[in-house]
Order: sequence, then structure tokens, then C-alpha cells
Amino acid sequence: MSDHAAAAPTSTGIDHKKLIMWLFLASDCMFFGTLISTHLLYRKLYPTGFTDAEGHERFIQNLFDIELTSFSTFILLMSSFLMALAVSAMHKGQVASFRRNVLGVIAFGLVFLGCQVYEFTHFWQKGLTIQNSVFGSTFYVLTGTHGTHVAIGVLWLILLYFYSFTGRLRGHGGALDVEVAGLYWHFVDIVWIIIFTVVYLVEYLGPNGIWGAGLPLS
Amino acid sequence: MSAHAASPAADRALLAEETRRYHHFITLALWLAVITGVEIVAIFLPLAPWVLLLGLGVLSVVKFFAVVLWFMHLIYDARLLLWLFVAGLALACATFTALVALFSFDRVDTLWFG
Repeated sequence: MSDHAAAAPTSTGIDHKKLIMWLFLASDCMFFGTLISTHLLYRKLYPTGFTDAEGHERFIQNLFDIELTSFSTFILLMSSFLMALAVSAMHKGQVASFRRNVLGVIAFGLVFLGCQVYEFTHFWQKGLTIQNSVFGSTFYVLTGTHGTHVAIGVLWLILLYFYSFTGRLRGHGGALDVEVAGLYWHFVDIVWIIIFTVVYLVEYLGPNGIWGAGLPLS
Repeated sequence: MSAHAASPAADRALLAEETRRYHHFITLALWLAVITGVEIVAIFLPLAPWVLLLGLGVLSVVKFFAVVLWFMHLIYDARLLLWLFVAGLALACATFTALVALFSFDRVDTLWFG
């Protein structure tokens, strides 16, 4: 049975909320597409490092912590899995199961945000700011925008969790509300899949990364 | 039992379908974990950067579409939704291609400040 077979009649046969969410996700694709493109292009055009507060020249290749980023990637992937289970539970009318799974998603989302805060703090302490290099500007804007999306998703899921106790999150409408929130959450996950590869992993290819060793700034 | 089925028969069909998807989700989650593990190990292998770049690109595309098709239900849903998303994705890829073509030179820092 398809997901939209039981939907209220619409001119397209698809629930309006779901259609609007997919339109939003398509537009968000373009938004993140430009952010990722900008980061990659500037990474190629300006392969130099940055100068920290003490005046030491630093190279970007030595900045990343692949263990931390891999961990947060794994966490986000598993949160997507739990979100899929939460949506499935709501379709079956199992609200208790939905609550358990969505709590897991919220916890994993918060862990991911914690990792990002730690990473930003770590970079900040090493002297990388949004102002002192092209890399800093594009990196913080890209990953910060993604982090903001995650934070909005966590807030949305917390609201849905508490809303489920009011008894109004039930029936087809309730399942649809959870499904729409799930679509948003999965989108945040797929954006991170791309960011993880093109921003983090490519820095480790070859002895100097694919961007070259970089030159001192001065 | 069901959130929005109309009859007991439809209820049972919905439950069977959701149970089938549940197993798909578990299998997919395991594969996603394995692929991420392979990516992390691959970057430390002594292979040519272009081979690794190609491999990582393919693996991330596989992960991307696996989540979109199964976790986001596009494989089960109306085709219109798939095309909507593909349109956004195609525009994003076209933007990237156009920017790469526009800025096809290397190292602004050495060209202008070196």
C-alpha cells in the first residue's frame, strides 16, 4: 500500500504538507549546493593556511580530527535509522514506540551538536576564526548552517514528543506530521553525508591532501 | 491498531507492509555503518588520491540515495515527489558545474599575491 493512498483528496493525490516539505527540501538542496560549491572552490583557489592569534602560520591539513567527525557521522546516520523507526511506529499507531525512538533521535541529535560545538571550540582555540582566512569563512558558514538545521530539527522533535502526550498526535494527521518531521531530519543527514566526504575526508587524500600542501600566508 | 487504515484487511496489509519496511531499515542502517567504516579506513590506504576520491564519491552517492530512497520513502511514494527532489538536486549540481567552469584557474593566492 503506498503512503499516499489513504491521504485526504488533493489535486495531486499527495498530502499538501508532504508536498510542501519536499518542495522545501528541493530548495534547500540548492541552498546547500551553493554553500558546498563555494567551500570547495575557495578551498581550491586559496589552499593556504591561516595565521593564529600568536602569529604562527598553520596548515589546514593538520586541523581536523577524523575520529571525532567519524563518530558524529555515525551518530547522525543512526539517528536517521531511529527516525525511520519512529515514522513506521506512528503509521502503525504505536505511540509508545514512537516516543522511545524519537527520544533516541533527540539524544543523538544533541550528541551531534555537542561534537560540533567541541570542534568549533577546538578550531577557535587553534586560531581559526570566521574572519582570519577564506577557509574559516566558508567552513564555519557551511557547517554552522548545517548545525543550525540540526538544532531546528531537534527542537521540532522535542515539540512533537511533548505534543504526543496531548493525545492530538494520532490518526492519519499525526502520522503525517511525524513523517514530515522525519523527511526534514533525513535531509539533514544526507547533507552531512556529502559534507563529511567533500569537506573532511578529502583533506586526508595523499600526503598533503588533494589541495596541495598550502603556502604560508606571508 | 492502525493509524489510518479503513478496514481490518487494510489494517493487516498496512501492518505487513510496515513490518517489511522495518526489516529494510535495519538492513540499510547496517550497510550505512559498514560503508562509513570503509570510507574511514580507505583514506589511510596507500592508493592514488584520484582513486580514493572516486571511491569516496561513489560511496557517498550510494549512502545519499539509500537514505533518500528508503528512509525518506521515495521508493514507496508518488513519483512526483521523486522528480521534485531530483529537480532541486539537478539545479544544485548545475550550479556547482557552472561555478567550477567559471573558476577553473588555480591558486588565486599565488597568482595574485605570490
